[in-house]
Amino acid sequence: MKILVIGLDAAVPELLFGDEKLTNIRRLMEAGSYGRLESIIPPITVPAWMCMATSQDPGSLGVYGFRNRSDRSYNGLGFVNSKSVQELSIWDQIAREGKRSVIIGVPPSFPPRKVNGICVGCFLTPDTNTDNYTHPAAVRDQIRELVGEYPVDVKGFRTNNKAWLLDEIYAMSLKHFQNVRHWLRNSDWDYFHFVEIGLDRLQHGFWKFHDSRHVLHDPGNEFAEVIREYYRYLDTELGSILELLDEETVVGVASDHGAQRLDGGFCVNEWLVREGLLVLNEYPKQITPFSQLSVNWDKTKVWSEGGYYARVFFNVRGREPNGVIAPADYEKFRDDFKARLEATTDETGRALGTMVFRPQEIYRHVRNVAPDLIVHFGGLYWRSIGGVGYNSIHVQENDTGPDDCNHSQFGSFILAGNGLPAVGEVSGVHLMDLAPTLLEIGGYDIPASMQGRSLIGGMPQIETGFAPDGEELIRQRLSGLGYI
Amino acid sequence: MKKVIVIGLDGFEPKLVELLFDRGELPHLAKLKAQGGYARLRTTYPAQTPVAWSTFATGTNPGGHGIFDFIRRDPKTYLPDLSFNRYEQKNAFVPPKAVNLRRGETIWERLSQAGIPSVVLRFPCTYPPDKIRGRMLSGMGVPDLRGGLGTATFFTSISDIDAQEGEQVITVAPTPDNRIETFLPGPIDPKTKTQSRFALHVQFDPAKRTASIRSDGNPAALELREREWSDWLHVKFKLGLFRSLRGMVRLYLIRTAPHFELYVSPINFEPEAPLFDISSPADYATELNQKLGAFHTAGMPEDHNGLDNGRFNEDAYLNQCNLVFDERQRMMLYELNRFDEGFFYCLFDSPDRLAHMFWRFGDSQTPRNDSNSPHFSEVIRDHYRHCDALIGEVMRFADNRTLFIVCSDHGMNSFERGFHLNTWLHDQDLLTLKRGLTPGEAEGDFLRHVDWDRTKAYALGLSGIYLNLKGREERGCVSANETASLKTAIANQLTGLGDAERNRLAIRNVLTREQVYSGAYADESPDLLVNFAEGYRMSWTTTLGGIPAGHFEDNHKKWSGDHIIDPALVPGVLLMNQPFAKPSGLPNLVDMAPTILAALGVNPSPAMEGVSLLS
Repeated sequence: MKILVIGLDAAVPELLFGDEKLTNIRRLMEAGSYGRLESIIPPITVPAWMCMATSQDPGSLGVYGFRNRSDRSYNGLGFVNSKSVQELSIWDQIAREGKRSVIIGVPPSFPPRKVNGICVGCFLTPDTNTDNYTHPAAVRDQIRELVGEYPVDVKGFRTNNKAWLLDEIYAMSLKHFQNVRHWLRNSDWDYFHFVEIGLDRLQHGFWKFHDSRHVLHDPGNEFAEVIREYYRYLDTELGSILELLDEETVVGVASDHGAQRLDGGFCVNEWLVREGLLVLNEYPKQITPFSQLSVNWDKTKVWSEGGYYARVFFNVRGREPNGVIAPADYEKFRDDFKARLEATTDETGRALGTMVFRPQEIYRHVRNVAPDLIVHFGGLYWRSIGGVGYNSIHVQENDTGPDDCNHSQFGSFILAGNGLPAVGEVSGVHLMDLAPTLLEIGGYDIPASMQGRSLIGGMPQIETGFAPDGEELIRQRLSGLGYI
Repeated sequence: MKKVIVIGLDGFEPKLVELLFDRGELPHLAKLKAQGGYARLRTTYPAQTPVAWSTFATGTNPGGHGIFDFIRRDPKTYLPDLSFNRYEQKNAFVPPKAVNLRRGETIWERLSQAGIPSVVLRFPCTYPPDKIRGRMLSGMGVPDLRGGLGTATFFTSISDIDAQEGEQVITVAPTPDNRIETFLPGPIDPKTKTQSRFALHVQFDPAKRTASIRSDGNPAALELREREWSDWLHVKFKLGLFRSLRGMVRLYLIRTAPHFELYVSPINFEPEAPLFDISSPADYATELNQKLGAFHTAGMPEDHNGLDNGRFNEDAYLNQCNLVFDERQRMMLYELNRFDEGFFYCLFDSPDRLAHMFWRFGDSQTPRNDSNSPHFSEVIRDHYRHCDALIGEVMRFADNRTLFIVCSDHGMNSFERGFHLNTWLHDQDLLTLKRGLTPGEAEGDFLRHVDWDRTKAYALGLSGIYLNLKGREERGCVSANETASLKTAIANQLTGLGDAERNRLAIRNVLTREQVYSGAYADESPDLLVNFAEGYRMSWTTTLGGIPAGHFEDNHKKWSGDHIIDPALVPGVLLMNQPFAKPSGLPNLVDMAPTILAALGVNPSPAMEGVSLLS
């Protein structure tokens, strides 16, 4: 039994399951089970893919996003890399049982993980020309021989040069799939997992053309169909991959989160300044990133980092260097403040529907330096803007460049394989359920650290497929020939 | 030459052409003959469309392309199957893939390699389409949506009507106010294992002899008049939650009184959404659909079964053939208007399709002698004249840098008597039935009552005999050292076989595989090839492994013309606008590929056997 996981970063269930032209996707859906895949909080690429692979929540991994506070100082955030996640993953368990894996582009995987098999770095690889981004190192040369320069991401995908962006994404994805097919064919693997990042980049770049409800929607734009077309492109790539598989392979298709329109940016630090919780020595004359602001830490109670969601930090006495909130008041302060965040409104005073989470409530463990609160502004229809100087709480532009969509809480999954029943749609599946499910299918042990549940017990046994007996099929095929 | 234009006229019979030449009734073909020449064109063993055109395409005998008959057989199951293509599915996740069983290197593949484009319309055995430089629309081999070559639906208010060949019968119950709620049966739903359905609401008017069909298709309301083919009705079959299959049909309202009878054509793939690719590039069919409107996509679009089964009459069939012809002509002109270099091919299959069904009107020899119906006696010749006008149209596109070729794959003859070859083998103690059954008692086809442990030879398909060979057939019992003598013995016994009842020669000769085939795929062919005399053919039931009583039967079907006899008796025709010659004997289908390639300055493939006919 071999297992292949096809990771489509940000594949949206409605788009993946709702287009009948995605014939290979349809084929998989019909052969097995599929449905919405609940993501973690926050639904962000890092740590979502590793939460899937380890079946652990972000708190348990101690990784709350791409960037994390490494200590209690005010020195900003450090970037994660592959070493940030050391917990036992599905491929580690498979290696324990002597089997080999190929892991391509599963973030974070730079520096490359020393897996039992092959690892190719993800989009966090700084430069594939100069960095050693593969394990074993020689794989890099083989990739270069195969596709030339190997792009792990479209650098600068937040751009207004859409035609360029579209070309770059296709150029990248074509090479990715060429590389994947090569290792599917030419390496020895029991578990194969890759992630294609192109879809995420495309949706961020083109969502406003695609979604008529987007505030910047431009009807009839030449890019109106590029998202749907890219799903169809992915479907043809999927078809060419399926061709390479033998009957003993189980196939999973999964996304780490979905995508939805972005209605605007909520300037969280601007708001904190107005609320008197963040005190600046001087309000900036121009838009300034949080890290460059002159903060009066002795008077500041709360600050936040921007991004697709907000990580809010409290300045707690005895915990932060210049802490002001008394530890005894912490929970009361947090409850009150959570209510104020939940009451945030749009420009017209309508409640945004902001969701605020306490890490201790949503994670089994809270490791490393966690935010005090995690905020999904407007149910993630709004993103969080960390800079100050807008003189406004609500903005349309994004501080990191043009970006049309945010992540949504539900990604997608399909699971099919010989011997797996054709169940159809399954609801209530969580991203952390996939690793235990795949391990059980493959006959491996499920490590106790895994938090998800295997779906196998929950799948009804349904007979699959239609195969008319030989003679009936022949009569059908010959019907209408004449001569006979 | 910069261009080669080939118009294929399937089954165009030289004796008819020569007769009409003598009468001066084919002026354009005569002009072509004067420009370059006319000859009979030697066809393949056997003289069957898929075999012959595949030889045209590859320049090899069938041993080089692997198509030996309409029917092939699986030596592991002894079951017949269609020879052109098959579907493969590697595992549960990949869709089934159509695989063309015609192999060898084709003219258009050779040209593509040389950077020269081709436009190939409806060439037989081009399904799935070859990936070529240029454009290709698949022909014979493309199935209908139910997976056969053409399964029609016959709706009738008379109960207990049995389905005949190539049709499904739906019994309907009209209300007193002439309404019918019924459905068009579609492909099998893989989940429910039942036939999918497309609902049809019929309101008919016996006084006006009309009917109106309402459905979720396009158009939502379709008006029918008795004895007329409707325009296309586009239909959709839901398979499961997300999946639906699109197709299209033409309807023929046979009568509204005293009974209601409606005929619905096989469900053609929708050009814009075929179940499997039917063109190369894949969206070429969409382009044709958008430019020219919907067209028949099924490989064999003419509903000969509707006529043979007596569901509709000769006029209906003739009208349908004309619809297909006109549609093909529009497609051809659309492409010729933008054709400026390379190879162009378009096939017209109607000469073959009409001759099969209308031969009986012109030939008093056929058991089903309808020659006293003068109304139809000119149909075939009229159609030849019609084809001549078509050639006149094409000639406008043949400038002095164009090689223009008109040819047919085989001729046509009468089909009067069928030969029960399996029964004959039984009577020679070469084929044994189980439990002492005798032919005739052993009902059914597919050789189902054969005792394989005591059977040395069997017939399947339209021309061939297979030995039950040890190591090849599942229960083979003929050893390798016995093969040669057994083949010689069968060939000797069948050669010159007479039909005592008619006092006529039935079989001219029988050849061994080694005598006729060579090449990479020769070992897939039948072991022996039967060359029937004029008027004879493999009997209807023998083709699929039936073993009826007696050795001969009269052919009473309307399918009264056929060509699967000794190929020497049914050559095709060849006309070119350039002088041509074959140093020895008749030009042969294997010469066509080298001729076309030579005209375009490309060397033939090493496997090609013929020679360029250009001087």
